Amino acid sequence: MTEMRRHEELSGDNVQQAEMIAQQRRTIIEMETPVIQVWPGILALPIVGSVDTMRAQQMNETLLDRIVATGSEIVLLDVTGVPVIDTAVSKHLLETVAAARLLGAEVLIVGLSTRTALTLVQLGLDLTSVTTRATMAKGLELAFGRLGLEVLPRRRLSVDPDMGEQ
Amino acid sequence: MARVPILRVRDLLVATVQEDLRDSDAQALQVDLGLALERTQAAGVIIDISVVEMVDSFLGRLLNDIAAQSRLLGAQTVVVGIQPAVAITLVELGLELRGVRTALDVDRGFTLVRKLIRQEQLRVTTRA
Repeated sequence: MTEMRRHEELSGDNVQQAEMIAQQRRTIIEMETPVIQVWPGILALPIVGSVDTMRAQQMNETLLDRIVATGSEIVLLDVTGVPVIDTAVSKHLLETVAAARLLGAEVLIVGLSTRTALTLVQLGLDLTSVTTRATMAKGLELAFGRLGLEVLPRRRLSVDPDMGEQ
Repeated sequence: MARVPILRVRDLLVATVQEDLRDSDAQALQVDLGLALERTQAAGVIIDISVVEMVDSFLGRLLNDIAAQSRLLGAQTVVVGIQPAVAITLVELGLELRGVRTALDVDRGFTLVRKLIRQEQLRVTTRA
């Protein structure tokens, strides 16, 4: 009798645990693919943590939908937060680049560290089909260039609403 | 049999696919576009496939072929309006359509095809 009760309690715990895990997974999925519109026509997708097949697929779908919804032509894929880019991860990244290109958007991979670049070269992975930059800032600069925009320091006007009369 | 209308807009041809294409329809489009290019001497082709929800390897390859064929006839091709699901399918099939230029919609397609035509003119004139 007590054996059975203990068994029931245990399975109850298991169910609770399973629910908790499922909920946490949902939270992680919601958190892991924030697609940010940084400028009209420019999206940013910061990736934090490792990229497995399931996550890559989810990322892909979210990103492509957002490209269409916002009519964006450039995506900055930020891999600063990806600890290791190996053969599998780079394959996923290249798939994202290819799919976005089919829609008519260009993906720039930014945030490649020296170490990552070295790993990619040593693994013999070909990323020549993708434009890459070391930092998000450089990527953004390039994106502005592609859209025919440039960032200039504000000219001192004789009457500046913020500064008053000069 | 769903014939794809091919519109002539200035010096461009615009083909708007109206529904999912069967293999025979797609082949007909390829032939029709070739004939239209020959007739009009158009400088660019825009193919709008925004309503297409299913693409197989046949259609994928055919789009590549159309672009290559048009290039031989002196025209630049831009495919516009590929749906996200279609893009994912194509990439999974290993068909990245590297020979095809793409744009988000017809409007951006016009901008891109104009740019490609200018580049081509520049390339041809500087080589001579």
